[in-house]
Amino acid sequence: MSATVSLSKSEKSYIRTALGELSPIRADGRSLLDYRSIALETGVASLANGSARVNIGKTAGEESGSGTEVIAAVKLEVEGVLEGEGVDGGRLMCTVSCSPAAYPHLSSAALDDLSYDMTIILNQCLSHPSLHPKNLVIIPKRRSWLLTLDVIVLSDSGNVYDALFLAARSALCDTKVPKTRSVQYQPKSNALGEQDVEMSAEAPASIFSTKEVKSTADFELADYWDEGEPLDINQEWPVCVTLNLLSAKSLPTYFLDATSQEEAAIPLRLLLLFSFSPSGTRLQSMRLMGDGEIQLESMTQLLESGENHARKLFQALKNKLQEEDFRRNQKALARFDLR
Amino acid sequence: MVEITIRKRPRAEAVVTQRKFFKKTARGKVIKVLRERYLRNDVGCGIAGCRNCVHAGKITLPSGGSTKSKFFSDGHFVVPDTNVFLAQMDLMESNHFDPPLVLLQTVLEEVRHRSLPLYNRLRAMIKSEDKRIWVFYNEFHSETAVVRVQDETPNDRNDRGIRKAVAWYSSHISLINPTVRGQRPKPKPTVLLLTDDVQNRMKGEKEGIKCSSVVRKYVESLGDNSSQLFDLLSAEGDEIEPTNAQNTTRQALYPEHLPLSTVLAGVRGGHLHQGHFNASQFNYLEGSVSTAAFSRPVLLIGRENMNRAVQGDVVAIEVFDEKDWKAPVDQVIDQEAALKNDDAEDSEDEGEDEMLVQEKKVLQEERATAQTNAVKQPTGRVVGIVKRNWRAYVCHIDSTSLSSSHATSLSQQTVFATPVSRLLPRIRLRTRQAPALIGQKILVTIDRWDATSRYPEGHFVRALGKVESKEAEQESLLLEFDVPYRPFGKAILDCLPPEGDSWVVPPKIPNDPVWRDREDLRDFIICSIDPPGCQDIDDALHARRLPNGNIEAGVHIADVSHFVHPENPMDTEAAARGTTVYLVDKRIDMLPSLLGTNLCSLRPFVERLAFSAIWELTPDAEIVNVRFTKSVIASKCAFTYEEAQVRKDDKKLNDELTEGVRLLNSLAQKLKARRMAAGALNLASPEVKIHLESAESSDPIDVEQKKLLETNSLVEEFMLLANISVAQKIQETFPQTAVLRRHLPPPPTNFEKLQDILLKRKGLTLDVSSSGALAASLDKCEDPELPTFNTLVRILATRCMLSAEYFCSGSVSRDTFGHYGLASPIYTHFTSPIRRYADVMVHRQLAASIGYTSLHATLHSKQHVERSLDVINRRHRMAQMTGRASVEFYVGLALKGKGEKSVVKEEAFVIRTFRNGLGVFVSKLGIEGLVMFKGEPKYDAENYTLTLPSAEHGEVTIAVFDKVTVHIEVEKDRNTQRGKVTMTLVDPPVAHTL
Repeated sequence: MSATVSLSKSEKSYIRTALGELSPIRADGRSLLDYRSIALETGVASLANGSARVNIGKTAGEESGSGTEVIAAVKLEVEGVLEGEGVDGGRLMCTVSCSPAAYPHLSSAALDDLSYDMTIILNQCLSHPSLHPKNLVIIPKRRSWLLTLDVIVLSDSGNVYDALFLAARSALCDTKVPKTRSVQYQPKSNALGEQDVEMSAEAPASIFSTKEVKSTADFELADYWDEGEPLDINQEWPVCVTLNLLSAKSLPTYFLDATSQEEAAIPLRLLLLFSFSPSGTRLQSMRLMGDGEIQLESMTQLLESGENHARKLFQALKNKLQEEDFRRNQKALARFDLR
Repeated sequence: MVEITIRKRPRAEAVVTQRKFFKKTARGKVIKVLRERYLRNDVGCGIAGCRNCVHAGKITLPSGGSTKSKFFSDGHFVVPDTNVFLAQMDLMESNHFDPPLVLLQTVLEEVRHRSLPLYNRLRAMIKSEDKRIWVFYNEFHSETAVVRVQDETPNDRNDRGIRKAVAWYSSHISLINPTVRGQRPKPKPTVLLLTDDVQNRMKGEKEGIKCSSVVRKYVESLGDNSSQLFDLLSAEGDEIEPTNAQNTTRQALYPEHLPLSTVLAGVRGGHLHQGHFNASQFNYLEGSVSTAAFSRPVLLIGRENMNRAVQGDVVAIEVFDEKDWKAPVDQVIDQEAALKNDDAEDSEDEGEDEMLVQEKKVLQEERATAQTNAVKQPTGRVVGIVKRNWRAYVCHIDSTSLSSSHATSLSQQTVFATPVSRLLPRIRLRTRQAPALIGQKILVTIDRWDATSRYPEGHFVRALGKVESKEAEQESLLLEFDVPYRPFGKAILDCLPPEGDSWVVPPKIPNDPVWRDREDLRDFIICSIDPPGCQDIDDALHARRLPNGNIEAGVHIADVSHFVHPENPMDTEAAARGTTVYLVDKRIDMLPSLLGTNLCSLRPFVERLAFSAIWELTPDAEIVNVRFTKSVIASKCAFTYEEAQVRKDDKKLNDELTEGVRLLNSLAQKLKARRMAAGALNLASPEVKIHLESAESSDPIDVEQKKLLETNSLVEEFMLLANISVAQKIQETFPQTAVLRRHLPPPPTNFEKLQDILLKRKGLTLDVSSSGALAASLDKCEDPELPTFNTLVRILATRCMLSAEYFCSGSVSRDTFGHYGLASPIYTHFTSPIRRYADVMVHRQLAASIGYTSLHATLHSKQHVERSLDVINRRHRMAQMTGRASVEFYVGLALKGKGEKSVVKEEAFVIRTFRNGLGVFVSKLGIEGLVMFKGEPKYDAENYTLTLPSAEHGEVTIAVFDKVTVHIEVEKDRNTQRGKVTMTLVDPPVAHTL
């Protein structure tokens, strides 16, 4: 994985030594487990069905371009199952594109590679069957929603994966699926003024009867003004914690929220994706990146501490999302009424 | 330096500044639509004398409101809600209903959303001078705008917006009329919320809007005019009242319609079929729907299966299994005859069962005797309505439905109105003017047709006048066929040349815009040949010999496109009218008469602008070349057909003009011969001419068939030649959008019945494989005893054909361009731009193709051309029907006049046999009629014969194509006052004629 900045050996060694000290020192003065400040806003794209913008490490006073900035937007499209476009139950597709401004030193081919790598990680994790929302169905076996999640990396100053998943999760939580009502026409078997019309219409259709399949189906919007209802597995969308491993020793030290320089200096990163739901915590996905190696025994320990960090991040995000929701609806309305 | 700031609206306010909604597209996709909204403070209230508002434009509301209502002595303004406009448009449009109205933007948009025709009427109403309407843009006013709250339906939100606007107006009026201390408070006009929605009214009261009213109560309070206004109230009016429990107890007579979305889903899935509902002319219990899926129309038998469909509605039908398919019934069932005892007031109750039984019996009888071997048609039933095509119908009040107890009283009663058109069911309406309306033609609109009601319910719109008065009949015809007949508006007349009728072709000087690229043909010997009394002369001709032995012939058409420019009000109106409509004694012009009968009309002895097609032809009438040019001509003579004929035949005359006519005639004969050889059909349709006593009284005194002279065909041949040449030219230049006309070959199945009859009755065969073969076999259809037999067969054959239509060359495949009747591979209409809009379009395209002008953008757009031609095709069909109906009416009048002096007996041919009657055609009068028989005549459907007991002895058998003599009477239908031609058989004499 190509680092976003290239450092000389001495620079790398300098950073590594400083981090490896008994009382570690980071360039921005944080402790090892501190995050930079994270800014989050939802509803940034009015025409999307759900959207969010995340910035990690924005320096106060600077307008833009500082910190890691990611925008995610969800768009829902109707797909016909019979027409061969979609699959029954709906599907989810993620795409990440990196803005050339975020990686000015990369050639366009390298930028594509990077985007593709990120897309794979995001897509493999989010479109996994264990995370599939059930309300992407419009009409069973007929029509379903295609959920496309597009994420753009506007600038990268380290820890882009955490930002990516924060934005993705926020956008998905913000997503509202328009309410639909299915409209079906069931042909009656006979109708010309015969007396048993009612009976035959009420007779329960057996599973094997061809009637059900033959009945045509279309849908209509239940309320064309309503945004709709959220995806039904809102809480389960995973959060990502990147553990930056300093050494491959039996008791590894790690730190969180690396800057670009720090990322370039370390041999190994461990991406852990946790999903928290009432039914329990799940490790959705994990990935090692870098050229270093790690002992299997230390993984258990890393997973445990990773889960703790992820839980904190999850909680913080949950609170922030609620706050955002309140800001966008009630507050704005209240202000409108006060005029 | 100038500071540039971008006033971006913060996203934080998106809830207020943006309106978003979802939309499902026709292709089934869902899109999110976002609209920005800018709220402002300068939206005016429209009340005169208000100093708080900034008003641009005319203020329409008087400062004190209206004091006409008894409830509000201090004056009032009326704010109607959406449903008032949707249900009571006739009331709102009435001249008697004139309180100052505040029309809210919310209401306006909702009306547009719900019904486009009503919206257009509303827009017209806003513009009209005699209404006091102020459109208040409440959604854009910062104090009246509303934002939808969570879980609020669009309907509730709109209602809330309406209430908020009413509240705003109320407080605004207090601001306009402040109470000055020490003075007696000025009377403040009230703002009245007019709504029939109980919930809305209740909510309004809760919010402090005290003044809201039901439409009916409000109309009552208006006093003077209320009885006239009452009739205009739609039946829909008070149904939102929950108190009307009567409805729920009633038994449903019809199956419920499926909701539209379900219907559309069914149609898309192929389970339901969509089509226009056509009621049967002869049998009121039968209708049919033509669908794409079946080659034959789907038959709907019985009220229940027709399920409240009205002629012209777009319906969705379900088709029954093939075993239930049936042949249409060969019986005439007349609604009036069958349902004489139906009572308007209580038809819903006791009469019901009896009626049903009666109808069922009729239907079963039919079935029992229906022939098993006749060709079966698919049958089905209506399950839903896709689109109602209800409009105002011309009706009569059924006098028997008037309850005898108040035959003369002015209290409200329910009566039946019988539409003039047999295709429509009778309409129930409530009126206070019933006694006064008897014997009048009236206009009635249908409001609704519930599943619990046997007949549709409607309301009275206005009276047209006394039955059989010419004005009333004329207007009713125009209304019935939807012909736009209003006089041209000011915007349209403003498009005419400012010189008016003193406009002349300017003198020929270089650089004059009129003369640019125009040929000077003023010295040519040009003449026009038209029917007598023709005022809109749009074609003129000339011919002369060239030194090389060939002949130059020219057709000169009025240059209408010089005066009618694309997309101006006159052009739009002409496009909407599509064609000039000719009634027997009136012409409804497509273009203002200044153009039609003066500036564009190629009158003799004046210079006129023309569009000329000039050919060089060999003496054998082969085209050497053709050119088209704009020109200036001066016609030397305006002949009638007869005059031209006389002139041509007069051997003594040898002047240039006469020679020209002879030359044209000889060419025309050769052209015709060649056309016939190519397989053109010589078709016949009954055309009669009405003799009017004098121009003023316009009382018809006689009817005769039109005579055809040689010169008729002279003009026709050259017009065909011009049309074909022009068609080729514009199709070459604009292969995608050329305006052409075609006549599709009829499907052979159309002829099956006629072929069968001819074979069985006369032993003749009809070869319909091509137009040439048909023409040849039609020539052979002769009966030495009946000289008119050939014409009769031609008339019947014509009816089997499809009608010609205009089309856009890019929208159909090249091999379907042909004109079947004329046997021409390509055809268009170029020669009558004064009376047909298609010709105007062709003129524009031709002018562009010769480089005279550039083509207007709209004529480059396939969509636009298609849409215009759809309108023209429809108007054209309607115009033909109107003309025919007008002739029929006058034939009826003439017969009545004759009948008073003597008994009218005419020869007639049997053209159709029914189980209980005969369809006959009286060629001398060009009318068709029914002869009905009582009892049970023996009907042989196989051989098309009907055997009846004779009056003298034994039996007589009457077959199709037999010549009979009928006694024709015009009698007023006793119930409906509808003038009706009745025929009875005189020869052969039979025992039981009805």
